[in-house]
Amino acid sequence: RYVRQLQRLQLLFSPTAADARGARQFVEEAAQDFARQHPDVVLYVSPHSGPGPAPVLRAEYLNGTVRDELIASKTSEEILQLATKLASQSGLDIIRIRKPFHTDNPSVQGQWHPLTNKPSSLTVQGPRLQPQ
Amino acid sequence: LLAGAGRGAAFSTAPPPEKKRWLRAYLELQRLQAPPQRRSEKPNWDYHAEIQAFSHRVQENFALDLLKTAFVNPCYIESEEARRRQLGLDKDAVALQLQHNTGLAERGLRFARAYLAQCFEGAYPELPAKGVEALVNFLTSQELVSYVAQNLSIQDLALCRDFPAPPDVLQRTFLAVIGALLESSGPERTGIFVRDFFIPQLIGKDLFEIWEVVNPMGLLLEELTKRNISAPEPRITRQLGVSTVLPVYFVGLYCDKKMLAEGPGETLLAAEEEAARVALRKLYGYTENRRPWDYSKPKQGLAAEKAISSN
Repeated sequence: RYVRQLQRLQLLFSPTAADARGARQFVEEAAQDFARQHPDVVLYVSPHSGPGPAPVLRAEYLNGTVRDELIASKTSEEILQLATKLASQSGLDIIRIRKPFHTDNPSVQGQWHPLTNKPSSLTVQGPRLQPQ
Repeated sequence: LLAGAGRGAAFSTAPPPEKKRWLRAYLELQRLQAPPQRRSEKPNWDYHAEIQAFSHRVQENFALDLLKTAFVNPCYIESEEARRRQLGLDKDAVALQLQHNTGLAERGLRFARAYLAQCFEGAYPELPAKGVEALVNFLTSQELVSYVAQNLSIQDLALCRDFPAPPDVLQRTFLAVIGALLESSGPERTGIFVRDFFIPQLIGKDLFEIWEVVNPMGLLLEELTKRNISAPEPRITRQLGVSTVLPVYFVGLYCDKKMLAEGPGETLLAAEEEAARVALRKLYGYTENRRPWDYSKPKQGLAAEKAISSN
């Protein structure tokens, strides 16, 4: 069955800073709907008073990765999009994919090895030799 | 006047002075060297919400109090009582009203073993009892169960004395969760849960990696006598590099002049043993090209009920 890999989202923002306006609007309007639509993600909203670090959306995944995304000067819709994107990701590191293709069944009839098409020493048929 | 104005201005909202440049490196080193803490001791933690999220993540309805009991380990209860006694509380206050999860864990383990054994007997009817037992033991072993539990965030929710939680604690907690599901939702749903989380761990694994067989040739002879087939005759089919350091021999097992199986090996003995293993895999139906496991929704509930009644 499908298990969502996102465990919890922490929304750390300041109630007075100017760049956290989108975060505050998100909390007022869209956070409850988001939490209702994703019941397996725990959403923590923690406003820290006074000037502090930039507003950040911290995502924790089941394999332990913690990803911080800056939401300074973003609108509420953008933050919602970002949250849904994080909710559908797995916690694997985001690195360059070396090949855009992968297969679990590289060989259907069996991989070739030097003895594939060689006749067995037991049944050697030729113009003169008879099968044993 | 000037002094008063200075003191008055100090109460306005000025930004706090930033940490000194020469102090930041030391504080960063302290932060990196701090010992790992449980997630429940870090900020932003709501146990009840996390447990509800866990039940939604796994897409199962749990009775929440059973689930909370399932996460309580006996070592946690002991350590909490010792701590309270150390703090000098009365005997009434020392006793915690929590029940631990050993009963649920036992029930979960029994159900999981019975259900998995039944699944394998249904899917591989030719496999002998020892093989089924080996597969079930592998799937309920500590490493596998603790690996599955870690990736379902059970190590955050489990209450235990040591951090990080040792694998047997994680195994006990996960089996207790299965026991709690059994009590809340019944054997059918628990069977589907066990199937969905344990059987994919067999993907990519070979039968004889899990089941150690010391004498495959002897086992093969027993199986063939059961089916009234004559004893196999090993013959060298192909050979490469006989006089080199790395020879390759393909030995085929023939019954009544028909090929049963063929296996490669470095020496003739190794090749014969490998051919016996390939023959056993074919007989038990555990080859690499067998049909994948059937994960569709079951229509009859008889299978899981039989598991419960056979406990």
